[in-house]
Amino acid sequence: MAEKPPPKPVSPQDWESLTEDFRHGGARREKWSCLYPSLAELALSSILKKEFPFKIPLVIFLDEFSHLLFPSNSLSSLLDRLVEDLRTIVQSPIDGVHITYSLKEQMMVSTTSILISTNSVEVRCTAAVVELLLAVINRPNHGLDRHARAIACECLRELEKAYPCLLSGIAGHLWSLCQSERTHASQSYILLLTTVIYSIVSRKLSISVLNTSVPLIPFNFPEWILGPEKEGSGIGIGLNYKELRRAMAFLLEWPRVLTPFGMMVFMRMVMPLAVALDLQPSMLKVQFFGMINSFHPVLCHVVLIMYSRFSEAFNEKEKDIMRRLLFVSLEMQQSLVFRLLSVHWLMGFLNRFMVHGGDMEKKKSIVKMGFMFYPRLFDPLSLKAIKLDLLALCSICIDSLKARSGSDMFVGEGKSVVKLFQDGLISVSAFKWLPHWSTETAVAFRTLHKLLIGSSSHSEAHPSATNELMESAFYSHLKGMLIDMILEFQRLVPVIVAFVDRLLGCQKHHWLGERLLQTMDENLHRRVVIDYRIVSYFLVFDRIAENKTIPPRKLLELLTKFMAFLVEKHGPDTCGKSWSHGTKVLGICRTMLTHHQSCRLFLGISRLLAFTCLYFPDLEVRDHARSYLRMLICVPGVKLRGMLNLGEQLLGISPSSHSESFFSMQSPRQYQDPKKYRNISSYIHLERMIPLLVKQSWSLSLLPLGAGNKSKSFCGIRDSEASIDERELDASIQFQITSEDERVDKPWVPLYVMDSKVSEILEILRRHFSCIPDFRHMAGIRIKIPCNLRFDSESFNHVWGGESPKSRLHGVEALPVLYATVLKFSSPSPYGSIRSCHIPFLLGQPPVSDYIPGETALLDIDDTYIGSGEEEAYKAPVAIELEPREPTPGLVDVFIETNAEDGQIISGKLKSISVGIEDLFLKAIAPPDIPEDALPDYYLDLFNALWDACSSTSNTGREAFLLKGGKGAAAINGTRSVKLLDVPADSLVHATEHYLSPFIVSVTGEHLIDMVKYGGIVRDIVWKEEALGLLLDANTSGSELNRMPLQLTFTENEDERESQVGINKRSIGCIEILIFLPPMFHILLQMQVSDVSTLVQIRTDHWPCLAYIDEYLEALFLT
Amino acid sequence: MAGDCSIRALWILNNLDAVVFSRRFPVVEKRWRAACHSENESSGDDPVKYNVFSSLPSDLELAAAFADRKTREGSVRGFGIRVSQSKEGSDSWVDDPITRHIVGFYLNREEEGENNLLWPLALHIKGPYCILILPLVEPKHVKAYARLCKRSDCGNAVMADEKLSSLLLDLPSITGAFMVAYAIGEIVTGDVAEPEVVVSQSPSVGGLLDSLTGSIGISGISRAKPIAAPVASSAPSGAAAVGALAPDVPKSGSRLLDKDALRSFISSAMPFGTPLDLSYSNIFSIKANGFSSLDIPPQDLKQPAWKPYLYKGKQRLLFTIHETLHAAMYDRDEIPDSLSVSGQINCRAELEGLPDVSFPLKGVSTSKIEVLSFHPCSQVPEQNVDKQALMFSPPLGNFVLMRYQATCSLGPPVKGFYQLSMVSEDEGAFLFKLHLMQGYKSPLTMEFCNVTMPFPRRKILSLDGTPSAGTVSNTEHSVEWKIITSGRGLSGKSIEATFPGTVRFSPWQTPRSTSFRSVLEGTTDDDSDNEIENTNNMVNTEEFLMEKMNEDLPPVDLEEPFSWLAYNYAKVSFKIVGASVSGISIDPKSVSIYPTVKAPVELSSQVTSGDYILWNTLGKCPSAVNAKV
Repeated sequence: MAEKPPPKPVSPQDWESLTEDFRHGGARREKWSCLYPSLAELALSSILKKEFPFKIPLVIFLDEFSHLLFPSNSLSSLLDRLVEDLRTIVQSPIDGVHITYSLKEQMMVSTTSILISTNSVEVRCTAAVVELLLAVINRPNHGLDRHARAIACECLRELEKAYPCLLSGIAGHLWSLCQSERTHASQSYILLLTTVIYSIVSRKLSISVLNTSVPLIPFNFPEWILGPEKEGSGIGIGLNYKELRRAMAFLLEWPRVLTPFGMMVFMRMVMPLAVALDLQPSMLKVQFFGMINSFHPVLCHVVLIMYSRFSEAFNEKEKDIMRRLLFVSLEMQQSLVFRLLSVHWLMGFLNRFMVHGGDMEKKKSIVKMGFMFYPRLFDPLSLKAIKLDLLALCSICIDSLKARSGSDMFVGEGKSVVKLFQDGLISVSAFKWLPHWSTETAVAFRTLHKLLIGSSSHSEAHPSATNELMESAFYSHLKGMLIDMILEFQRLVPVIVAFVDRLLGCQKHHWLGERLLQTMDENLHRRVVIDYRIVSYFLVFDRIAENKTIPPRKLLELLTKFMAFLVEKHGPDTCGKSWSHGTKVLGICRTMLTHHQSCRLFLGISRLLAFTCLYFPDLEVRDHARSYLRMLICVPGVKLRGMLNLGEQLLGISPSSHSESFFSMQSPRQYQDPKKYRNISSYIHLERMIPLLVKQSWSLSLLPLGAGNKSKSFCGIRDSEASIDERELDASIQFQITSEDERVDKPWVPLYVMDSKVSEILEILRRHFSCIPDFRHMAGIRIKIPCNLRFDSESFNHVWGGESPKSRLHGVEALPVLYATVLKFSSPSPYGSIRSCHIPFLLGQPPVSDYIPGETALLDIDDTYIGSGEEEAYKAPVAIELEPREPTPGLVDVFIETNAEDGQIISGKLKSISVGIEDLFLKAIAPPDIPEDALPDYYLDLFNALWDACSSTSNTGREAFLLKGGKGAAAINGTRSVKLLDVPADSLVHATEHYLSPFIVSVTGEHLIDMVKYGGIVRDIVWKEEALGLLLDANTSGSELNRMPLQLTFTENEDERESQVGINKRSIGCIEILIFLPPMFHILLQMQVSDVSTLVQIRTDHWPCLAYIDEYLEALFLT
Repeated sequence: MAGDCSIRALWILNNLDAVVFSRRFPVVEKRWRAACHSENESSGDDPVKYNVFSSLPSDLELAAAFADRKTREGSVRGFGIRVSQSKEGSDSWVDDPITRHIVGFYLNREEEGENNLLWPLALHIKGPYCILILPLVEPKHVKAYARLCKRSDCGNAVMADEKLSSLLLDLPSITGAFMVAYAIGEIVTGDVAEPEVVVSQSPSVGGLLDSLTGSIGISGISRAKPIAAPVASSAPSGAAAVGALAPDVPKSGSRLLDKDALRSFISSAMPFGTPLDLSYSNIFSIKANGFSSLDIPPQDLKQPAWKPYLYKGKQRLLFTIHETLHAAMYDRDEIPDSLSVSGQINCRAELEGLPDVSFPLKGVSTSKIEVLSFHPCSQVPEQNVDKQALMFSPPLGNFVLMRYQATCSLGPPVKGFYQLSMVSEDEGAFLFKLHLMQGYKSPLTMEFCNVTMPFPRRKILSLDGTPSAGTVSNTEHSVEWKIITSGRGLSGKSIEATFPGTVRFSPWQTPRSTSFRSVLEGTTDDDSDNEIENTNNMVNTEEFLMEKMNEDLPPVDLEEPFSWLAYNYAKVSFKIVGASVSGISIDPKSVSIYPTVKAPVELSSQVTSGDYILWNTLGKCPSAVNAKV
């Protein structure tokens, strides 16, 4: 604002640009701010200039910006000048050039407007202006100035509106003026009189509207304006009804002279007047309802307003209104916006009618009318869309009526909602083949959405609405329709996904989106054809993969099939395609990994990934698959998801919006039976006798690809009939090798370098494997998990309504009993079929305080008391026998079927029993021809042979070992691992003795032997009292130690190195452990024990178990 | 306040998004502020802390808000329905097509905080101008709308408690605002069209001004400025441009805005912001002519506000029935042809005084009239189909007395089929077989009849074939067949015309501009490998080509009935005079005037074609279920 103020405007051009500046606002207006009061003065004097062509715009300018140009400090004087100007202009004779009617009219309007908007009841000015205006209007039927009189009436009306009852004192005069005026200005007189009466009635002034005793001029400012908010003060309370009704009767004679807008203004006041003066609304109906037939939108709207105010009086007119509104929407001559508006009014009308309007039958017949109006061919799409809304509304209304009346009613003439919808949608049916961005598509899906969410509003969370929706015919139709559309018109997939997204994004309808996805998941995979076109479904798959409520199995199967298809179809011209498709599939896998718990996915996804990294033609895809697989196996679930999510965030993709709580959800397999049996597991317990060390939260299980697979078998155990030279090995086993050294592309070289040592090893191994039963051809190795079954009497009675144990004195007799209990087991894990278990009789467990009164304290102290003594009577031992196909931890689901005393059959699901890796630990099977005292040596030999075979340098991997029965064979592909346990030697020995003693084959080292022997638990093994140094030498020979993580962490830090050396120095011995894992695998542990820590070297021929072993060791020694 | 219509302000913007005219009404604004004040006071404990924006924007701010919305909503009108680009808080979030007309702006004013929604603005696009009218509503309505467009859920349910429909029903001011917008639109573009009334004898029949100048005897009166000439315009409503994309952006116009005319119209039509009368011709007659001492008010009646002048001179009564015929001809078994008439009776009553005219409508019962609606000046008795008598007190000049929708009682004047088959990617063989005026008797005369085959997306190289009647010509993108040329009307007989031929196009080139896709496209996905596969499955050239062309089909505006570009069709245009095709008619003898005067009654009829489409029988075609009314 440092600029110097602009020069004062003089010429019309100056004023014009000034006006523009003010309208424009901002800096352009700002620069004039210093001139504000004087600008108004200048303008006011310019208006009076004779030769000034810019008068009218200038007057309007003053009017529009009066809030700026008339600052309050100089308001009074400016207003005086304004009124003076007005008087001058109004009283000047018309010369047709400088003083025109237009100027007079504008001056009157603008002065009035300024007076009102500057918000000052300047009694002097206002009274003067009113007087001037009254003088103008007081010449009814004068020919020349009739329009100016009309405008003056409008000015007076505005003043009356701004200061209600300003003119009520002269209402009598106004009435007589109104009566005599016959030119077209009569509308303004009528409206003025109506306004005056309106304010009299609303202020409840008891004033005579017939009284003309007060002179019209000079105008006296009425005192009731000055005393604000004192209703009727000074005049007395009470309306002069008789007179007012007469005035109303007069006014209602003349509606036909009003313009549509005049009518609108008129009706706005008449309606409250009619209420206040107790006029019959039916009179209004007779007088004004005909306006509904006008094509003037304003008049139609007036009727609607009238209806909403006096709906009782307009009873029976609903159909006329409906019909008329529908017809407006059909009128091609009408502007589109009014056609749209009419449908909106109709919907608003129907909505209100449904809430307030009359009886059921009437509602039905009214709503049915809506069905007559399908979108027409040449209706603009916006009109089509909104008409479809109307159809949706009607169908929902009908539905709700049907629900309430209970009668069987059809929509329209025997049309179901579905049919209605189909018919309606024909008008945009091109959406099926047009590009998915077409407007038709948008309209069609908008309608789908409207119909789908139907009557469920977002404000209330009423579960019953949800059920209704799910059961509605429309929903089931829509489901099917969406699926069909996806299959038939792939181009629609993005739209459908967007549709589902819209639901998913909504808090209230999230479930609906999920349900749709679930339906797609259920139906799509069955029907989709595996070919390149599957790619178009990936968007859907991605959403399915994201959703935690959908088990990923089906999708994974499909994707696996697709990958197989890609591998099969691969040719030189499909390289790019393979890459792109493979990458997309992996993308979906990744989505799954980020959103699902690993254990749900593990089986399927690891197979998919394993297959991909083995066979997929594109190197990059293979690489990615491999890294995903590695992560899947080595990184625990939560961390994995974190990592993948992090990646997503880095890529700029927002992480899933779903709440974290979903992660903790159980898989759907564990859903409980509904209703009565729901809580069965809370009082009937099947428990492991020996608790697991590790609570296994996940399991890794690799099955051959595709159950009952076709030509190509990726079988774990090969039948001996198959040519051995083919060397087609278990995909799961083979994979481990390839992932390490990329052997997939190398041709297999059968390399047999036999030396005596190797042949000796082979001999031992052959002998060993020949003792292992081949579960495919004979009974496999079984393991037993001992459990106890018990149930709480109290809660049992509570649920099953048995005798309440009121007579505690009876003790045992009062306890409930279960007869002929059958426990059935099943497991998703590869445990073969599990024999069911029968318990003839089981007594309920009495409440704790009941059976050992006074001894609870003791119980608390010593847990071992439980399970001993008398209490055993309440428990039934159960052994779950598993025949593992694969050494993997898992869950065994337990179903109970039993009979209560009164014969009630109780069945349901109990808590699942988890099977840990340690349950699968078995002692290796010894050949029957080995004498008992030679067994320790046999085991040691076996250990050494396996140890050797499991090293990567061994070439025994090429050898297939026949299993018992001679039909199947196994190959050894070893994997190694190390683990450092930071536990002191004695606790290590203690834990080992406690949990692993049956599997120890040898102990080396004098000191260690002493420790172990002292314990006395470990017997019948080979004790090797070799020198410590030798042992270390033996172990560090070769390259093995170099691969140990310990050695790899070479640091400059002297202390650390010293401490490492220290560990070695204090080594006190070595324990070797051989564990057999059914059906035919092994874990070999070599523990190099030192005083403070122990290094465990692990080798196995079943790499997936490494992860469990790791957890097991940690649980065993470190906790 | 409900039931009223007041305008707070109005703006006119040109196609450069700059405000070229604005007008604010301080009296209305004062009422708005008072309402805001009491609303903000009463809603002190409103959980939704939302203070209504209480002052009007300057032109600069409004232009910025306009441009802002245009960017946010993709176009001037906006998406209308919720699409993936819709943002929460924007109009299209409300998911209602009417938000293309009733728009909301967000004003960018820091000191006012975030809650600066300016709603409702009636948006009317006319010529190069965007007209924005801001009617007065209550602050609670604005709040309700703000809630609607900021709702975080998936969209309004049809039965929801808070709906746009209920708002619109409660707000006649919006309806009024559109009337104002349309009136102003006509003024700024200068095409104020009075309804056409055909007169046989007198050559000088215009509108109100002619009757005025004729009666008063002033010949040289300067007509109101912006109107070129309010002569009977021949543009019937409802005839949309077919085959061409009606772009959303205003067309560039050459006319300059006549601000004086506009200002004086506004001052008279709504001096304080409350419209009183929007009749353009009345207002300009008053402004231009004023009143003379010869204008004497009637003795016993009040002169209506919509009839400021009374006619003086030779008396007569003219009626013109004007019908527009829309047809979708399929020539298929599964889809019935549809034929509908939208008609109106235009009238011009050169009668002295304030007489009432009444007559029975003939043919209402026989011709299936669906909709009747009337001029506000008419009184409609309770609907009785058999004796549809109409009484009205005519205003001055030409006016539309009534409108109706009907079915065509005579059958289609042009009947037959159009077949187009693509024999190769760039060559199409077509065949027309048409019957003209079958069953039409004299005096019905077809003045002309053209058939156009538009190919807006292909370039025509050559055209072969000779029609059995008429002449053929072609432009780059269309073939035109003139069956009956004007001057040789067809009356009293029917003819059959066939036209076999082939049309060759230049090879299809995929337009590489994909910008339009962004307008309504859902998710962007580049599944290009998808199409490669489809090629193999395509059964014939036709479908393949269709598929290929559809890849680049732009989405149409919501104002279009469907994607015209996706179909092959021929559009027929014709004009028939002599009688109506709906069967509706007026018997000049039964027209009575009260108080009785002797005045000749003239009646004329004309039927023109609207969307009269012959769909390619061998291709895809849009259709709709024909509901019984």
